[in-house]
Amino acid sequence: MEAIISTTDLRKQFPSRRGPVEAVRGVSIEVGQGEIFGFLGPNGAGKTTTLRMLTTLLPIDSGRALVAGLDVARKPKQVRQRIGYVSQLGGADELATGRENLILQGRLYGGDRVSVTSRAKLLMEILDLNEFADRRVKTYSGGQRRRLDVALGIVHEPEVLFLDEPSTGLDPQNRANLWEHVRSLRSRGTTIFLTTHYLEEADTLCDRIMIMDHGRIVAEGTPRDLKRQVSGDSVLLSLHDEDGALARARLLISAQPYVRELTTDGDQLRLYIEDGSAALPGLLRLLDAEGITLKSISLSEPTLDDVFLHQTGHSLRDAGAGTTETAA
Amino acid sequence: MKTLRDIGLLFQRYTMQMLRNPVWLFVGFSSPVLYLALFTPMLKHIAPSLGVRGGGVLEIFLPGILCLLAFASGSGMGFNTIFELQAGVVERFRVTPASRFAILIGPILSGLMMMVVFDAVVVAIAVGVGFQMHWLGLAALAVLLGLLAALTAAFSTATALVTKDISSFAAIINGINLPILLLAGVLLPISFGPLWMRVVAHFNPLYYAVQASRFLAAGSFGAPAVWQGFVVLASLCALVVFWATRVFRKAVA
Repeated sequence: MEAIISTTDLRKQFPSRRGPVEAVRGVSIEVGQGEIFGFLGPNGAGKTTTLRMLTTLLPIDSGRALVAGLDVARKPKQVRQRIGYVSQLGGADELATGRENLILQGRLYGGDRVSVTSRAKLLMEILDLNEFADRRVKTYSGGQRRRLDVALGIVHEPEVLFLDEPSTGLDPQNRANLWEHVRSLRSRGTTIFLTTHYLEEADTLCDRIMIMDHGRIVAEGTPRDLKRQVSGDSVLLSLHDEDGALARARLLISAQPYVRELTTDGDQLRLYIEDGSAALPGLLRLLDAEGITLKSISLSEPTLDDVFLHQTGHSLRDAGAGTTETAA
Repeated sequence: MKTLRDIGLLFQRYTMQMLRNPVWLFVGFSSPVLYLALFTPMLKHIAPSLGVRGGGVLEIFLPGILCLLAFASGSGMGFNTIFELQAGVVERFRVTPASRFAILIGPILSGLMMMVVFDAVVVAIAVGVGFQMHWLGLAALAVLLGLLAALTAAFSTATALVTKDISSFAAIINGINLPILLLAGVLLPISFGPLWMRVVAHFNPLYYAVQASRFLAAGSFGAPAVWQGFVVLASLCALVVFWATRVFRKAVA
């Protein structure tokens, strides 16, 4: 896979009253062409700061960033032409219509009136904005606005689209709708780089994620791999404890090589397995052969929050709730 | 050229925004008209002490109001910048390849155009109540006022980008504006003041604008105050626009 974004040891400090604050402390990223790549972390982790450096909005203190093959610090203009950026705020003109917004944006990217007008029309079709095209943005709902923001970000057919917290403030239905649109953009060949503090967004939308905390990357991989690294799946067995069935089951299960951890809780056994859905059938046959009958069984996969907890020592939810710091 | 094209696009955008938000137009029109209607009548009675005939007070007062108008319309620009900063508009433009100079100057030029329209209305009203027109002088005055408004608008915009929030921006702008206005002889000539005021005024750019404007409105180009006004405003304007463009390039957070 060819890398379209690559950074080495990216750093950023901000001055504050209590001395400089290191917002980004040595971030190295590789994003492949055509990926949906996610930056997951709580507010204040440094996600937005990193994004702003990659999009030429913020000077880079040290380290190197290449986007679409170009050095961001040296060729900001050329980089701007090749990337799209949708900030948390969006920033569409409320007093203008969706179409007017798109046409101006397209022209600022250098397009001529005719081609920009037809591009605007196409984008409004793709993003289901046709009905509202000639209404002022002020009257748009949250979901419509967000789709317009995305349209503004891709009006010049960028190679990479940066989305900063794209689904913040959207209800679940609009969020799912936005994800669909993001996926279809990717299928058209656009690389997507997004930041999020929603576990679900990182999990279901992204091909690959990096988890960021306090300015550092703490984990990287596909959501599936990351979750598997933590502790595997957890399986909860509850059984009828007759003829020492519990003790026999314990002995049997702990002898299996794929079982990482086993705990007992009353008549319940909790075990952690590398890949639960693959191991479970064999385990059930084993117990059956020993004449151990089960009352119930449940399999739960670890979430990205477990990953976050494992890597940072605190939960993503707690980290997000506790900080009043805004993403600079 | 790309920059000119960008300026045109952003000029159009800003003009359209203003036209769609008529509150601004109303405010723009009402303040100079209110000055004319509610302040000029009082001047009639002190005209003798100003050394002018009854109708002639406007010759002193009108250029002052026009300067005030240019100064106020320029320095109000930053409020809009703060709003656009908080709405993400500034970022949206900064991430495009549009020229940074165009992002700054497009709205400023649009503001200048609207100011000239307001000025024309104010002058027309003044002519109706006895102001003597000097076409050439007024044309030169329009250029001077344009420099003044561009200077204050660029300063205000850059200050807004640096401060980023409305309360600190308003505190700075209001804190600067009042002494500048009072020490410029906008409403009454500074020559009425004591020596120390006259000396301090020489460090105030607005003072040069006001002095020059009074001569220009009367059609006299020969006075040293005229070239001094142009030199001071043009050089300061260039300096501040340069700084403001840099701020747009580097703007943080």
